[in-house]
Amino acid sequence: MTEAVPSYLSPTGQEIVFLLLGAVAVGAGLLVVTTRQLVHAALWLVVCFGAMAGCYLVLTAEFVAWVQVLIYVGAVVVLLLFGIMLTRAPIGRSADLDSGNKTVAAIVAVATAAVLVTVVIDGFRTAYTPLDPGTGAAKELGSTIFRNWVLPFEALSVLLLAALIGAIVISRTDIRGRN
Amino acid sequence: MNGGTIEAPTIEYALLAPMLLIFGAAVVGVLVEAFAPRYLRKSIHVPLTLLALAGGFLLTILQAVREGVPTTPAAMGAVAVDGPALFIWGIILVLAFVSTLLINDDEQFVAQAAAVPGSSDEEAAVRHGYAQTEVYPLLLFSVGGMLLFPAANDLLVMFVALEVMSLPLYLLCGLARRRRLLSQEASVKYFLLGSFSSAFFLYGMALVYGYAGSIDLRAISSALGTVAGQDILLYVGVALLGVGLLFKIGAAPFQAWKPDVYQGAPTAITALMASTVLVAAFGAVLRVFWVALGNLDWDWRPVMWGVAILTMVVGAIVAITQTEIKRMLAYSSIAHAGFLLTGVIATGGPEQNQEALSAILFYLVAYGFATVGGFAVVTMVRDAGGEAGHLSRWAGLGKRAPLLAGIFAFFLLAFAGIPLTSGFFGKYAVFSAAVAADALPLVVVGVVASAIAAFFYVRVIVLMFFSEPAADGPSIAMPTVGTSAVVALAAAATVVLGVFPEPVLNLADQAASALFIR
Repeated sequence: MTEAVPSYLSPTGQEIVFLLLGAVAVGAGLLVVTTRQLVHAALWLVVCFGAMAGCYLVLTAEFVAWVQVLIYVGAVVVLLLFGIMLTRAPIGRSADLDSGNKTVAAIVAVATAAVLVTVVIDGFRTAYTPLDPGTGAAKELGSTIFRNWVLPFEALSVLLLAALIGAIVISRTDIRGRN
Repeated sequence: MNGGTIEAPTIEYALLAPMLLIFGAAVVGVLVEAFAPRYLRKSIHVPLTLLALAGGFLLTILQAVREGVPTTPAAMGAVAVDGPALFIWGIILVLAFVSTLLINDDEQFVAQAAAVPGSSDEEAAVRHGYAQTEVYPLLLFSVGGMLLFPAANDLLVMFVALEVMSLPLYLLCGLARRRRLLSQEASVKYFLLGSFSSAFFLYGMALVYGYAGSIDLRAISSALGTVAGQDILLYVGVALLGVGLLFKIGAAPFQAWKPDVYQGAPTAITALMASTVLVAAFGAVLRVFWVALGNLDWDWRPVMWGVAILTMVVGAIVAITQTEIKRMLAYSSIAHAGFLLTGVIATGGPEQNQEALSAILFYLVAYGFATVGGFAVVTMVRDAGGEAGHLSRWAGLGKRAPLLAGIFAFFLLAFAGIPLTSGFFGKYAVFSAAVAADALPLVVVGVVASAIAAFFYVRVIVLMFFSEPAADGPSIAMPTVGTSAVVALAAAATVVLGVFPEPVLNLADQAASALFIR
């Protein structure tokens, strides 16, 4: 992180794309919380996550980008939509989606964003890292996960198993014993 | 596909054996849940769980005795199984074993967790004699996480261990048989607040990574001397990491969950949380603040001073106003976390660190046993609707059940740190380490807080022995073998550690002598 800092005045194509994707992500994020339609909110979330995936891609973290697409866009949002479909949530425009706490929520959100942006800008003010393509590829990540990080990786699978058992414990009522 | 090969990682299986055994037994427990018929499950789970915990303890001792303490991190630098870690593993495994006896003992757990409280489903489940035997594998998963947590050598492993430890506990808290709504409320509260604290920890980790370029504890420590100009990242990162860790030990101002969760959870689980989780979390606090941030101690020490003072004072003073026995013990646990924090602050040269570390380790043993014993007694004093929680119900217990009340009084005296109990030597060791590290004002606050705490412990004793028993007072459950064993073991440990503490003190000294490996 000690490379010479190039001038900000002639941004490269990468930087421009990154900024545009960032703007799309922030805008879509705002629409998620302001739209009056539940399904629209879920779909705007797709745009937001997709733009984030694009940011990762520009930063050469291609594997993380595809995971973002698969898990967040693919699984989480689809889960949300299924949740809306299977419950009796209102599909159309509904007035009660506006919470009474929205001023407070907005203040908290802006304050949190301000703190985080300040910290990151202040912390990395002069840091500059050139991007080498390939360091975020699946091959590199796979070999580090199964070599350096194999123990936490396995521990995570244990965590998933525990969560699965827990979900069964607190949700299933139809298990009858074979007494 | 260019057919590149991955070099196999080196995993020191012998070193990790205790942890692997626990996780393996948990997985076997899941299989038992899947394939064994319902009426057999409990009789398979109990020996399996107890054997796994005892086996893990034996393997830990074998490791310490035969192979000595390793000097390098294991499993590709993910885990540091050093002297303190082995000692902490030993404490956790013994206390978990004892708590399992308590869990096994009685129908404290709900018949069917998914049945709505008060519904006909619930009645049917109770009538059929169902039991949620999943508690045993969940307990083992949690204990496995507790072993990994204080031995983690980088922040990522620590975070994963934190989750493995906490997630089963969130569930176990909500499974009380009586007063189910209170229990479920405790569970949800613990889950939400715990998730918040995990998120803080994760964000802190990200910022510290931004500063140091690594999440390895040793690399962070060496980055403190070389990286310049990004201090704000470091400070904010350390603060967020600290929030996550201090939440787990229940230090003020992050103590709010403790009374509610301790009160709502099944008492056996409360005993487990109050003892083993505190031990594991202190191991992790020490590792982060001593190994990774040891060279930053001028910056975190003032904050820790404040946190320690606040924790001791809040714990001791608010405990006085409590009228529920489990809530009172929860605030007492908060105060004890504060006393232990004075030991964390008592850093200095290597010798000073050693003394402080050995004091903390001894304190954890002493406090853990007394806590499990105390909660075991709480499970035995019952009303029609379950445990007699309200303090007024305990009036005159000394006349109805002198032995039980006597033992409970003894545990309370140990919490208060009266001489001839284990608590005295624990407090003495921690406070003398703090005095040696020039933290005299802190020790003065600690002693004052101890005196305030002694007031409410003694108040319970006076209530038990010097007031008339109510006509419809609580009944004393006939203790089963498990509970009697727990109470006897905890009382014996408290006496032995109070009268003849040298062997354990020496052991703690030895464990601390090599300090943490880096």
